[in-house]
Amino acid sequence: MLLSSIDHELRCRMLNSNLINKKKMNISKDKIQIVLLFLPGLLFFALFTLYPIYKLFIMSFFEYQIGSKGNALFVGFENYISVFTDGVSQYAITNTFIYGLITVPSQIILGLLVAVLINSMSKGQVGFRIVYYLPVITSWVIVSVLFKYIFQNEGYLNYVIVNIWEITDLPVKWLETRISSLLVLSIIGTWKGIGWSMTVFIAALTSVPKELYDSAKVDGCNALNRFFYITLPSIKNTILFSMVMLTIGAFNTFTPVKLITNGKPLHQTEFILTWMYKNAFEFRNMGYSAALSFLVAILVSAITITQFKLLGKK
Amino acid sequence: MKKHANGILAIIMCMLLVTVMVGCGNEKASDDTESVSNGNGENVELDTKAEETDTKAEEADTKAEEPEEVKLVFWHHYNEQSNENKVLMDVLIPEFEKENPSVKVEAVSHDWADLHNKALVAATANNLPDVIRVDSAWIPEFVDAGMLQSIDQEYTDFNEVKDGILEGPMDTAKVAGHYYGLGLNTNTKIMFYNTKLLKDSGVDLPKTLDEFFMAATELSSNDNGQQIWGYGEPALSGWNVLPLIWSNGGEILNSDNTMASGYLDSEQNIELLKQLVTLKEENAMTGFNSGDIPMTDGFAQGRYAMIIDGPWKYAELKGGHAEFTDYAATTMPAGKGGSIQVLGGEDISISINANSDYAWKFVKFMTSEFAQVEMGKVGQIPVSKKALENPEITAIEDFTVFLEAIKTSRARPAIADWSEVDQQINDAFTAALLGVKSPADALTEAAKMIDDILDKK
Repeated sequence: MLLSSIDHELRCRMLNSNLINKKKMNISKDKIQIVLLFLPGLLFFALFTLYPIYKLFIMSFFEYQIGSKGNALFVGFENYISVFTDGVSQYAITNTFIYGLITVPSQIILGLLVAVLINSMSKGQVGFRIVYYLPVITSWVIVSVLFKYIFQNEGYLNYVIVNIWEITDLPVKWLETRISSLLVLSIIGTWKGIGWSMTVFIAALTSVPKELYDSAKVDGCNALNRFFYITLPSIKNTILFSMVMLTIGAFNTFTPVKLITNGKPLHQTEFILTWMYKNAFEFRNMGYSAALSFLVAILVSAITITQFKLLGKK
Repeated sequence: MKKHANGILAIIMCMLLVTVMVGCGNEKASDDTESVSNGNGENVELDTKAEETDTKAEEADTKAEEPEEVKLVFWHHYNEQSNENKVLMDVLIPEFEKENPSVKVEAVSHDWADLHNKALVAATANNLPDVIRVDSAWIPEFVDAGMLQSIDQEYTDFNEVKDGILEGPMDTAKVAGHYYGLGLNTNTKIMFYNTKLLKDSGVDLPKTLDEFFMAATELSSNDNGQQIWGYGEPALSGWNVLPLIWSNGGEILNSDNTMASGYLDSEQNIELLKQLVTLKEENAMTGFNSGDIPMTDGFAQGRYAMIIDGPWKYAELKGGHAEFTDYAATTMPAGKGGSIQVLGGEDISISINANSDYAWKFVKFMTSEFAQVEMGKVGQIPVSKKALENPEITAIEDFTVFLEAIKTSRARPAIADWSEVDQQINDAFTAALLGVKSPADALTEAAKMIDDILDKK
């Protein structure tokens, strides 16, 4: 009896361990396949995104002059100190920040408004969507040159204000002060981006289940309340997505600033990218630009994380 | 079977990726066989530029492997739609290829600022084109970056070639006693003035700097809100203000180009800047603000009475404002220092990555009488002495005043950090003209900043 029960016990244990081993083998086989599938993308990301960031970080501690035979001088934190003390970086970061603060909410609100309106149309949706999307695909260069012409001292807008509507005698110098230039750039940025957020929101709106609206109507909910209590919460993730993308886009603004004001007057309308570009390619101070871009990367990450925390999944 | 399919797919994707990497890597690695004596090891991985340097490396590769057909890569900034580019592509290159049957010239047109940046990036990748048309202002910077061949040391017939070219333009390619290019074309600035406005206001054509400032004030007017400025200047960089400074007898740096204090902020320069501030306050001068009317439009519409610009102005006026003909040009008004304009122009240089023999042949060809006259006919002022005596060139009316002005023009300081120094000068003049700082403060502070910039070297 004892021997057969021990034997039985042993057989069970062997069977169990066999099963366990088979399970382990299955798991590691799966893991290997997962890793292999991810590997190409990871390698690509590592080589073309992580590696340049790492090199940039190293570069920011050197006085690296592009093309200077690789003889870079180690200067420690000097570049970072320059960024904080030279006065222009503050303008650049503040201007970009203000630009983002104006254009991101504007594009979201106006884009959402247009999306809701278009969504509620029974006919002609496609036509309107094309018209609103056209600015998005128009070249930034053409848009910048055009708007510069409109906002010049003797440009089209001043012509209308002074000669047609006769609001004031003297033309408004839109592009010659920091505040008005920022306003003009924000207007351009918003106008150009509405189509993009509209497209994103139309997609989101069509995915809201109709039953929610129907039951709300039955309960006596009016259109405005339906919007605030059903639509908005349902597309919360899309709003977050738009906010993050638009913020990153705002911090990447370069072309309109370069072509319309180029930082004038006296660097007061510099944006992060234009100042970085000037230092990297005109003054050849790659180390300074690297430090600036690294600080901005940290700033943008912080902003993005905050946005996620505030609007993320609950 | 499903499990295996995933694994196979993963392995295939890995192999594809590795193949792509190796392919790209090979093109870059082949550079080592091409580069000539440059110890630069840094390979900066810049995404947007990687593709272009890859294709250039491919071309460099073909050169080494097929000696029968040699490819010569030439980077320039003749606008793609311009007449100069047409002459280059349809007349000059075919002629050169006829004379040198085993060479194929690949000319690539870039935007001016783009060319500067792309050349610097190509340098870090050891991937420069054979020949580059270099703005004379970039030479010190490119030499400092070790990008250009010192041709007086490389080629035995250099002196003979040099003697055939005007001295001023050749000097723009000279750094620390060595020549890093040949002068290719030159330009300077002259004063364009509205003949009708001058006649109507009874102002004589200014010959001296003092007369110029007085004329600017007298030519300005404001009828019913329509402002006319006597003097329009599109920017306040060295290219714009150095002629005024030099003609007034002032300097910006010492003779070694190592210090600005005592020079940029000299009494003369402060006085000059004060005069400009007065002009601005009297609405006699503008043009450098973001919202100002562009020079050509403003000049053609009679809003700027006098502007100072280069030979391209003729083409711009004829092209965009053909109906406006009430203008003429003369040399820069002379001050205490004379009538000194700023010498611009382009040089043609050979990079350190070049296939030497044909590059030098091409460079000599582009500065030969034939090429210089052909380019001269489309507005590029020649530097070849023979070309300047050629009847086809002497017949060009638009060149007359420029050729006169070039005799007394001066090149900008040949320093590697010129862009940064230039920005300081620009900021100083802007600050004073916008009333943010007094002329004395603006110039003194800028001089100190420039001292720091020059000290870094």
